[in-house]
Amino acid sequence: MTPADAIREAAARLAAAGDSRPRAARDPVNRPMIRNWFEALGGGGDPDPDHAPPAMIQVWTMPGLHGVRGDDDPLGQMSRVLDEAGYTSVVATNCDQAYHRYLKPGEQLSVQARLLDVTGPKRTALGEGWFVTTRSTWFSSGEPVATMDFRILKFRPPAPAVRTSAVRTPAATSPPTISPTSPTSPSDHTRPPGPTTWLSQSRRQDDMVAAITSLRPQVTPDNSFFWAGTALGELRIQRCASCGALRHPPGPMCPACGVPGDGGYVVAAGTGEVFSYVVHHHPPVPGKRLPMVVALVQLPEGVRMVGEMPGVRPDLVRIGLPVRATLVQVDEDLTLPAWRPAEGVLPDRVIDVTPTFVISSALATRDFQDVHHDRDRAVARGAPDIFLNILTTAGLVQRYVCDWAGPDAVVRGISIRLGVPCHAGDTLTLTGQVAQDDAAGQVIAVTGRCRLGDHVTGTVRITRC
Amino acid sequence: MLNTAIVGIGATEFSKDSGRSELRLAAEAVRAALDDAALRPADVDGLVTFTMDTNAEIAVARELGIPELRFFGTIGYGGGAACATVAHAAMAVATGAADVVVCYRALNERSGRRFGRVVAGAVTAPTTSGVDNGWHYPMGIATPAATVAMAARRYMHVYGATSEDFGRVTVADRRHAATNPHAWFYQRPVTLAEHQASRWIVEPLRLLDCCQESDGAVAVVVTSAERARDLPHRPAVIRAAAQGAGPDQYMMTSYYRDDLTGLPELGVAARQLWRQAGLGPAEIRTAVLYDHFTPYVLMQLEELGFCAPGQARDFIADGAIEMGGRLPLNPHGGQLGEAYIHGMNGIAEAVRQVRGTAVNQVPGDGPVLVTAGTGVPTSGLILS
Repeated sequence: MTPADAIREAAARLAAAGDSRPRAARDPVNRPMIRNWFEALGGGGDPDPDHAPPAMIQVWTMPGLHGVRGDDDPLGQMSRVLDEAGYTSVVATNCDQAYHRYLKPGEQLSVQARLLDVTGPKRTALGEGWFVTTRSTWFSSGEPVATMDFRILKFRPPAPAVRTSAVRTPAATSPPTISPTSPTSPSDHTRPPGPTTWLSQSRRQDDMVAAITSLRPQVTPDNSFFWAGTALGELRIQRCASCGALRHPPGPMCPACGVPGDGGYVVAAGTGEVFSYVVHHHPPVPGKRLPMVVALVQLPEGVRMVGEMPGVRPDLVRIGLPVRATLVQVDEDLTLPAWRPAEGVLPDRVIDVTPTFVISSALATRDFQDVHHDRDRAVARGAPDIFLNILTTAGLVQRYVCDWAGPDAVVRGISIRLGVPCHAGDTLTLTGQVAQDDAAGQVIAVTGRCRLGDHVTGTVRITRC
Repeated sequence: MLNTAIVGIGATEFSKDSGRSELRLAAEAVRAALDDAALRPADVDGLVTFTMDTNAEIAVARELGIPELRFFGTIGYGGGAACATVAHAAMAVATGAADVVVCYRALNERSGRRFGRVVAGAVTAPTTSGVDNGWHYPMGIATPAATVAMAARRYMHVYGATSEDFGRVTVADRRHAATNPHAWFYQRPVTLAEHQASRWIVEPLRLLDCCQESDGAVAVVVTSAERARDLPHRPAVIRAAAQGAGPDQYMMTSYYRDDLTGLPELGVAARQLWRQAGLGPAEIRTAVLYDHFTPYVLMQLEELGFCAPGQARDFIADGAIEMGGRLPLNPHGGQLGEAYIHGMNGIAEAVRQVRGTAVNQVPGDGPVLVTAGTGVPTSGLILS
């Protein structure tokens, strides 16, 4: 039997074993923890006194500071199999939660988990590995109230490079199986489930080169009116004083009538639709975060303009999409025209990820892994600093959508894909866009970006009560 | 055209790291082309290259020991210059301005300055092109692939072309390169599935939609058809040579025309080519179409009249561009398969096809079409 066959056989055996024994939540759903969670995650407002925020579902059954995972826990068992086969590193990749109903204070929950799926070996950017998906189901008095599919990648860490540098880097003090991308060591599988870590930042290093300077246009007598306009918040289109023709990009002499320009312009309505667009992945572009969408926009005035669509989800852009102009101030000398979808856009939420924020949110979600509160330990494990835990990220996504959607929105599910880590000292910007809106409800696409790139992308399904 | 012919071709090896200066590459290629033509440096009285080439005509002349130059010049607009170097050389020979003109292009494009990267100088250059780039570079359209991707997306939208349609160009080029020992991708064909699995560069362009990056040099020798009769090889007679720029033309970003689905600048060149040569697309034996990015190969087929607008995907779907097909494309492997020498290696291949000495020789005696960089002011040739 090949090692892969042995893994598949173990996976089949564990999957066939079905659900683990029910594990009871330590405390019932309660208002003090809801209030802590609300405070720690921020965003204002007061908690609904009658219901728990749905994204807290996992919080209720976290085992606590000294908790241990049950010996029949399928993720723990499968992880041991993969550890023994050499796939010792781990990152969380996906978390999909579905809420059957909201929970009330006082409800006593229990959780069961089973192994759903093991696929591999796959070649990934981190190394060869296996995707392990488990399904947790929460019960209240025997009634299923929520489920969560949680996917991790167990991978074989690349062989450590020979160190030739005389300078010892912080990572050099890490245990051998722990890389900056995998602060959770195999031994952690005896620890509580849930808080695994974030996908590699190495893939983003290349793109990081970019965020240093910007490419700047040359301001000439022929185009200075345009750049003066963006600085004032106006999108200006050159207008020929003689024949009235509008023109973009502008030039010194009207091609329609031959009369030199006099600096005249009209201010654009600021609307348009996408005529074409690209999604730029490679190579790095100074001052830009990748991937980025850049659109060629057809304006109702009859001209076209190129502009970035900052923060937009690429799969929601299409030719014909109505857009609205926005101005992005790069620095005090340069303001660029840019475009956003005209409808269904949530206001950005910018979160200052202070150490206090990281620690208080980790504790409010009852995640006691050291990388979320102990900087020295985080550094020893190869991270530059403590970083946000997954339960907090899921909570932030839920809060972001609920704050926008209002009190009549009911969250039915959250599906998130985990990207780069968000460390203390960083800024997390949440952007959202309505991806689907029909009788079945709304799907809101959310992206959370930090310095290294996309920290989280996902969707939140809501209905209106 | 004008009773002129290409009588010599020369090249360095094609690599990713030549280990030599661009000037040395240029000198090696020019010398090789003169040897091929059985001419001496002293016979040369004209040199033409690209504005982008870093080797001045006088520097190349010095290295070759060319005593006097009566005609010299550079052609602008990136790879759009390729066939135009031959066009200018032919005009110089036809008018008596020069007798023997060598066209050359030498570049360490992989080990030196890589065109696929963002070049900040493109937007700071104190020229109209630098100012033009100020409408695109700061907004994020700052690489050749990005500029082409914008047009490619629109083309897909209007005509229903797919990424797989683009990939068929790659598959054909790489299949041809696989049997060309001079090609970087010799013996390394790819499948359509591999094309589809290659990573995004700028959607809708994948890595395998983008030509390779190469170090190397190519030179060709142009003289009169009369003089060519005394030289060793069958002359590649220049039946037509033309340049073209279109309405509201920009470098790679002519985004302000009515539509983005064609290459009007190539249309300008194409109409001249067919008229000068007195023939049409049906008579072309094989075409060397500039393939920096696959979508523009489809648009070229349409702009040149091999098929109607929007129908290139059908034209290439039935194997027309493979060896043995209706129009074998880039039998040397193109810039996706052989090397990216800014289109000059395609001219050398066309000469070999006329001589009957190509590794993937397309049977017959018909004329051969070559195009230069597209999406920019461009040029083309018909040789026979």
